[in-house]
Amino acid sequence: MNLPVIDTPVFPRWVWIEEIAYSHIFIATIITAFMLLAPVFETIGVWKKDKRYDRLAQALIWFAMILFSPGAALGTGIPVFIIGTYPEFWSRWSNLFFWPLVFQFIFFLLEVGFLFFGYYLIWQRWYTGFKKKLHIAMGFIAAFWGFMVQVVWDSLGSYMLTPGEVALPGVNEPVGWSWAAFANPSFPYLLIHRVIGNFSYTMLLVGGVYALLRLRKKITDEDRLYYAWSSDYCFGLGYAFFFGMPLVGWLYAKLILRESPMAFYAIMGGNNAFHFIVKMALILIFLTLGGLYLAARHKRGRLHVLMSIGVLGLAGIVLAHPPLHWLGDNPVLWRATAIGVLALIVALLWLARRSDPEKRHWRWAMFVAGLAAAFAFAFGGFVRESARQPDTVYGMNVKPEVEPFELGWKALYTGCVGCHAAKPGQDSPLYFDRYAARPDRRSWPDVVQAHRASPDKYARNGLKVDLDDEQARRILDYLQENFK
Amino acid sequence: MTFLAAKHIDFGLFSAKWAIGSVALFHTAVASLAIGFAFLVTVLQIVAYRRRQRDYDMMAKRMQLLHVCMYNIGTINAIGLVFLLSGLYPEFWSQLFTNFFWPMIMEEVCFFLLATTLTFHYFFWEHLWGHKKLHIFMGALLTPLFFIQFYLINGMGGFMLTPGFAAGQVSQWSGTAGFTGYDFKMFYNPSFLMLTLHRTAANFAYGAFVAAGLCGIRLMTTKRERMIRYYEDAGRIAFFVAFAALLSLPVIGYFYSFVLKNEAYSAYAALMWGKGDVVAGGIDWWWLKHVIVAGMLGMGMAYLYRSSRARPAEGPPADTSASGASVPLTTLVWAVAIFYIVFYIAMGMVMTWFFFWMMLLVGVVGWMLNGTMLRVCGGSPRAVFLLMGILSFLTVMLGGYVREAARPRFVSQAGVHTGNDLLDRYSHYDDVYVPEERQKAPGEMTMRKDPDWPVPGPRRKPEAFRDLSDPEQVRQLISFQCSSCHTLERVRRYHEAKPTAADWQRTVARMRAYGMRIAEDEAVAIAEMLQQPEWPTTTPPGSVRIK
Repeated sequence: MNLPVIDTPVFPRWVWIEEIAYSHIFIATIITAFMLLAPVFETIGVWKKDKRYDRLAQALIWFAMILFSPGAALGTGIPVFIIGTYPEFWSRWSNLFFWPLVFQFIFFLLEVGFLFFGYYLIWQRWYTGFKKKLHIAMGFIAAFWGFMVQVVWDSLGSYMLTPGEVALPGVNEPVGWSWAAFANPSFPYLLIHRVIGNFSYTMLLVGGVYALLRLRKKITDEDRLYYAWSSDYCFGLGYAFFFGMPLVGWLYAKLILRESPMAFYAIMGGNNAFHFIVKMALILIFLTLGGLYLAARHKRGRLHVLMSIGVLGLAGIVLAHPPLHWLGDNPVLWRATAIGVLALIVALLWLARRSDPEKRHWRWAMFVAGLAAAFAFAFGGFVRESARQPDTVYGMNVKPEVEPFELGWKALYTGCVGCHAAKPGQDSPLYFDRYAARPDRRSWPDVVQAHRASPDKYARNGLKVDLDDEQARRILDYLQENFK
Repeated sequence: MTFLAAKHIDFGLFSAKWAIGSVALFHTAVASLAIGFAFLVTVLQIVAYRRRQRDYDMMAKRMQLLHVCMYNIGTINAIGLVFLLSGLYPEFWSQLFTNFFWPMIMEEVCFFLLATTLTFHYFFWEHLWGHKKLHIFMGALLTPLFFIQFYLINGMGGFMLTPGFAAGQVSQWSGTAGFTGYDFKMFYNPSFLMLTLHRTAANFAYGAFVAAGLCGIRLMTTKRERMIRYYEDAGRIAFFVAFAALLSLPVIGYFYSFVLKNEAYSAYAALMWGKGDVVAGGIDWWWLKHVIVAGMLGMGMAYLYRSSRARPAEGPPADTSASGASVPLTTLVWAVAIFYIVFYIAMGMVMTWFFFWMMLLVGVVGWMLNGTMLRVCGGSPRAVFLLMGILSFLTVMLGGYVREAARPRFVSQAGVHTGNDLLDRYSHYDDVYVPEERQKAPGEMTMRKDPDWPVPGPRRKPEAFRDLSDPEQVRQLISFQCSSCHTLERVRRYHEAKPTAADWQRTVARMRAYGMRIAEDEAVAIAEMLQQPEWPTTTPPGSVRIK
């Protein structure tokens, strides 16, 4: 398709689109999470006859209202930008998903209608009795439409990573809708992962912000009490939500390995591993800080025992995990370090029990934990989107500005790692780094030549070496450039 | 274009045209209202600040709340419009976007600034109470931002009706001088200025009339004397702002139609003599719009005249029982009335005399209706406010519809009528309607002509590069084409990375997509030369050196 591609100033196109998209997603996820949680809190408030829940719900919706217009404006910028900078992708992708996009537009209108006119604007007018119940119902309806918008976008986004069997159609093959594309393999995993993730990070962040608000001097005692309660409540809720993430994430990763192996290897030891490690480090930060705060706040020994067991349970994963490349691939050093860190966390948990949770530094710890959770969420999205590069839709469409080195890693992950993964210790692109460091290694041209010459000899995992000249050249160039 | 013959996505019950038309009109109704509201909120805030009257500030705040709601609905409509156009008219939309990408991006930037400013202005109203001037300034920023935004979209909208000399001359694949994403000539097309002026005044009128209409509704529901006076005052301010803007519209519209006569004759003929899609369901919608406008002019002038005879300090100013007259205002009203009679005479000369007499009649009926409504409502202007708000909404809808419908039916790139509204379409002006109602005046024979003053942008390579079997000429071709956009150093660095032949082919194809104008054989020659291990060195005639 001979559509012109518009280039951008200052930064490459992917940087622009990434910044616009993430700004929007960050706002949109907060709005969606707040909209889903606000009527729940309001219901609890009515049920418990506790006005703090109502205040919390109202505050969440007020903040969602503030974010709504900028978020929507950024949202309109995304298609506008993509149409100009990735015209082929957009034309084909919007052709495949025309009806979901149109329905998303309708859901969006319904969301605004119910949120503005049925929920926010009449909060004070429908405050008691049956009207209150009606108001809560309106909140749930608004949240439902907001959630439907997320459902559509998660489907369309997950298709880009795991298109499954559905090819990206040409523009001269109008499709409009495909159930198989909509319900693509990773759609349910992404949706659940993001819903739980949204609840977790937004509540941790809200808890952190409320904790800081407690530090303000010019507030009433009533406000101070409210902030104390709301910060603890939201923070604890966000922390609890997080524990749904690893299981879903693990299943999600397994599916990516099956459906989009190149993306999986890019994340697990490949060119994208650094971002994934940063994400994991951020998770470690907020889990540790949050855990310590909760240990200080709740003095019951049972909680500490449970948390200690949980942390030590991680030791099982650590022992099974291959040694980190950063630690020289040394299994002993890796295990010793990891076990040491976990033991330190357990010790700190018990020490924190003696600490006064009202101390100022705990407020800041909560805020930092909330921020770390928000950044972990953002990095998660970045990892997912960048893992399939240079493809815009995995295996279907390559971005126009693709560079040779990107095609190089794509060829390596698909042509080599798939076979090597069958053998323990070789199941990640890091294997090539380790191989390059071996004193008895052969040169890369020899290795590639040998593999091509004897495909049966190197066959593994039911796969044979099957490289054409161009793939071999790309793999060789990439190996020589990156694994010296 | 490869997908010219594309089939379309079937829209089911609606046709594609109606789906887009309804969403676009909905968006226009809401977005235009937002512009009018932004302006009126600032006016009310300034009045409140200068008179130290909190009521006006409260009115401004309520209006801004409505504005926030409207704004978000308008935003979502815009997203829906983009999705619909992408799916239903992919060819049209892609081509249009190629030339208007940067204006659209600027539009998005304004959109974001507007959203942020509007949000802070409303949600922090009380927080900024001690900084009122800053708060008013923040609100006042909305109007120019809105105007920049709709100025940008008018470039695109104007182009669709009057492509001017850009049509058929500028490549659909690239902008001015190879700068993809923007084209000066296309943006500043012949009707751009008139469309912008017309929509500016119309937005003020529409927003303020609707605000007056809302005051009218509140007047119907409230019983408290203080609130009645409050809504009458606020409604009157809105009404005067709106009517002043409305008065300018026919004049601007007259010159707008003059531009159409020269640049889009077919559309002009369709409007003036009721042709094409302007007439639908047996109704000439442009005529209907004029009937409404004439009625609004009559009604508005009557209200202004009655107001000029009232004393604002004594009771409800619009009260018919009030005595005394403001001589300058009365004179102004009559002067305006005479001006518009002359205006309709001019329109009658262009169109038909039936049009003139009909508009005059409707204007008089509007004048009389105003008096009747005031009498029935006991002197309260509530019914007048409400009716004018509704009529204003109708004129905006009808105006938008007829402008789009006036464009002739679209044809394929080869000039063949598709006969199917759902297919991708190009506008054209080869097939001009000849009105039977009247003889064409010499001036109407004036057809669009390319002016001779613009300097044409680079179109083709120098003629010297012809023999592609000569390596030196290929090297010069590389030098000329590549260095038009970036340095040759960039090419050399890429060459050092030893890309494969496929990489070079892809790169050359990408550069063509970016706007490099070369023939297929030249692309092959360039890729073949660059895939050689040695970097091509040359010293072409002139000053360009590759190494």
